[in-house]
Amino acid sequence: MDGQRKHPIWAKLVGYAAFCLVILILPLFITDDYLLNKFARYLVFGLVAMALSISWGYAGILNLGQAVSFGLGSYCMAMALKLRTIPIQTGAEGLPDFMVWNNVKSLPWFWEPFHSYGFAIAAGVLVPTILALLIGTFVFRARVTGVYVSIITLALLVVINLVVIDRQRLTGGFNGLTDLAPLELFGLTFDPYAHATYYLIAVSLGAALFLGLAVVHSKTGLIMQAIRDDENRVRYFGYDVAAYQTFALCLSAAVAGFAGMLYTLVMAFASPTFLAVPVSLSIVIWSAVGGRASLLGSAMGAIIVTGVQGSLSDTPAFLETWTLIMGALFIVVVLFLPRGLISLVDRIPLGGSARRRAAAATVAASRSGINAG
Amino acid sequence: MPANAVGATGGTILELRDITVEFSGFVAIAGLTLDVHEGELRCLIGPNGAGKTTALDVICGKVKPASGKVVLGGREITRLEEHQIARHGVGRKFQVPSVFRDLTVRQNMEVALCRAPGVLGNLFRFGNSGASEQLEKLAELVGLEEAMDVAAGALSHGQTQWLEIALLLAQDARLILMDEPTAGMTAHETAKTAELFNRLKGRHTLIVVEHDMGFIKEISDIISVMHQGRLLAEGTVREIETNAEVRAAYLGSGGISGA
Repeated sequence: MDGQRKHPIWAKLVGYAAFCLVILILPLFITDDYLLNKFARYLVFGLVAMALSISWGYAGILNLGQAVSFGLGSYCMAMALKLRTIPIQTGAEGLPDFMVWNNVKSLPWFWEPFHSYGFAIAAGVLVPTILALLIGTFVFRARVTGVYVSIITLALLVVINLVVIDRQRLTGGFNGLTDLAPLELFGLTFDPYAHATYYLIAVSLGAALFLGLAVVHSKTGLIMQAIRDDENRVRYFGYDVAAYQTFALCLSAAVAGFAGMLYTLVMAFASPTFLAVPVSLSIVIWSAVGGRASLLGSAMGAIIVTGVQGSLSDTPAFLETWTLIMGALFIVVVLFLPRGLISLVDRIPLGGSARRRAAAATVAASRSGINAG
Repeated sequence: MPANAVGATGGTILELRDITVEFSGFVAIAGLTLDVHEGELRCLIGPNGAGKTTALDVICGKVKPASGKVVLGGREITRLEEHQIARHGVGRKFQVPSVFRDLTVRQNMEVALCRAPGVLGNLFRFGNSGASEQLEKLAELVGLEEAMDVAAGALSHGQTQWLEIALLLAQDARLILMDEPTAGMTAHETAKTAELFNRLKGRHTLIVVEHDMGFIKEISDIISVMHQGRLLAEGTVREIETNAEVRAAYLGSGGISGA
C-alpha cells in the first residue's frame, strides 16, 4: 500500500466538480421538501467532516473537540435569529422568551451585537477560529502531540458543553435556542424547508471543497502533510511547526463554525446536543469511513453514513438493529479499507499510472543497490 | 550564501565554547570546545557515550546546554529554537533515517527546499516551486531520479538514507550535521556515500559522526575525538591513529581502527 499513488490533480478536480454538480441538481429530482431538508442536513455533516479532514487527515491533529466549533457557530446564528423572532414569542423590550422565564431583566451585553446579521455571521466563523488559535498556540508551542491533543480538545468540549447547559439564563440551557425566525438575507428567506436553504448549503460545501483543495495542494498543505509524517524532520528544515499546526486547527474550526451556522438554518434551533461528545465522535467516524486524508472522501463519508443511518432508522424492518448494522459497517471499513471508502476510487487505473507503476518497479528492482554516479 | 565558497577551507564557521550538557545529573558533555572551518569536512569520533550525538543536538538546538555558547558565522545561536537555527543555515541528518514516508520523493524535496518558511505566504505557492531542475539534479546525485514520484515509504533502507542526504542538500544548509550517515548501508553504498561527501567538501561545511573507520579515512580532513564529554584530540587520521591518549580511551577495543 505504501507505494500507492493518488490520482493527478486534474482527475481530482473532475471528481470534485462531478460531486458538486450532483448536489446542485439534486433538488430537480426531489419534490418532497421534507426529504430535501434531510439531504441539506447530510450536506452540512459533509461540510463539518471535510473540516476535520483538514486538521486530522492532512496535519495529523485528531481534534475531538470539533463539535465545539460546530456548536459555537450554530449558537451564533441562533442568537441572531432569536432576537428577530416575532413578538409573541418574545418578552418585553424584545427580550428572548427564555430570559423572561428566567427573570432576566435586560438583554446580556454579549447578546447585544447579535442584532446585526453581519456580526452574527462573522462571529460564527471567528469565535471558533479565535478559540482554536488560543488552544493551538498553547498546545502546539508546548509541543503537545498525538493522543494528548485529542484528550485536551475532548476535555475542552465537555467543559464548554457544561457551561452552555449550566448558564440557562444566558444560553437557554438544556432546551437550547428554539422558536427562531428564519434567516432573511438578500431578499431570500432561508427557512428549513426552502430550496434557498438547500442551495446555500450545497454551494457552501462546493466552495469549501475547492478552497480546501487549493489549501492542501499549496506548499502550506504539503508542509502540513510532512508534519503529519515526521514533525521533527520538518522543524529542522526551518519551519515553525507550531504555526502550521495552529493554522490547520484554525482553518478546520472556521469551516466547522460555518457548518454550525448552516445547521441552525436547517434545523431551526440550536441545542447543547450540537456541542456534545457524540457529535464530535460521529464526525471522526464519518471522516474515517470516507477517508480522512481526502476532503471529498470525508464529506462523502458523512453523507453516506448519515444517509444510510437515516434510511435504516426510518425502515420498520431495521428499527431495532440499525445501530448494529452501522457498527458492523464501520468495523468492516476500518479493517479492510484503512484509508476509507475513497481509497476504492484511488484504485481505478488512469492513464498516467502505468508510468508510475513502472517507476515503482524500477525502485523495487534497485532496492539492493544504488546506482549513483 | 553557501555553495560559493568552493575550494580550500575558509574562516571559522562554527565555534563551540565550553559547552556543558547534563541530563538529570548525568554529565553528557563537560566543557566541550570545538572550532570548525568553512568548507571543511570534520569527522567526530569517540567511544560509545562520548557525547558525539549530544554535541550535534546542541548545535542544532535539540538540546539546550547548561552552560557555554554556540556561535555560527559570528552569531550566537545557543538559545534559539530549532527552526530558527535551521534558518541560520544548520541542517541535520538523524541517526535513524527520517523522511516523509507518505509523500513522494519529489514532495519530500519540495518540503526541504525551505525558501520562505511562513504559513500564509506558502498558502499561495502551488505545484513545483520552479526548482524542478535543481531537484532532479539532486535526485540524480543520489540515484533516485527514477523514483521522483514514488512514495518515500517504498524506498529501501539505503535509499532512504540517501534521500535524507538529498533533502539536506535541497535545504542548502551552510553547515550540515550527519549522524552516522552510512548506518545500515552495504559496502557498495558506503563507498558511493564517501564519493558524494568528497564532492560536497568546500561547498558545504560538514560534521560527520561515524564509527566506520574505513569510511572516515576516505572522507576526513581533520578528525576530532571525543571522550567522556570532552575533546580528547584533534588531527589527521595518521596523527589520531598514533595518539597515545586516544589509544588509552579506546583501551580494550584495539584503538580507533577496531571501534
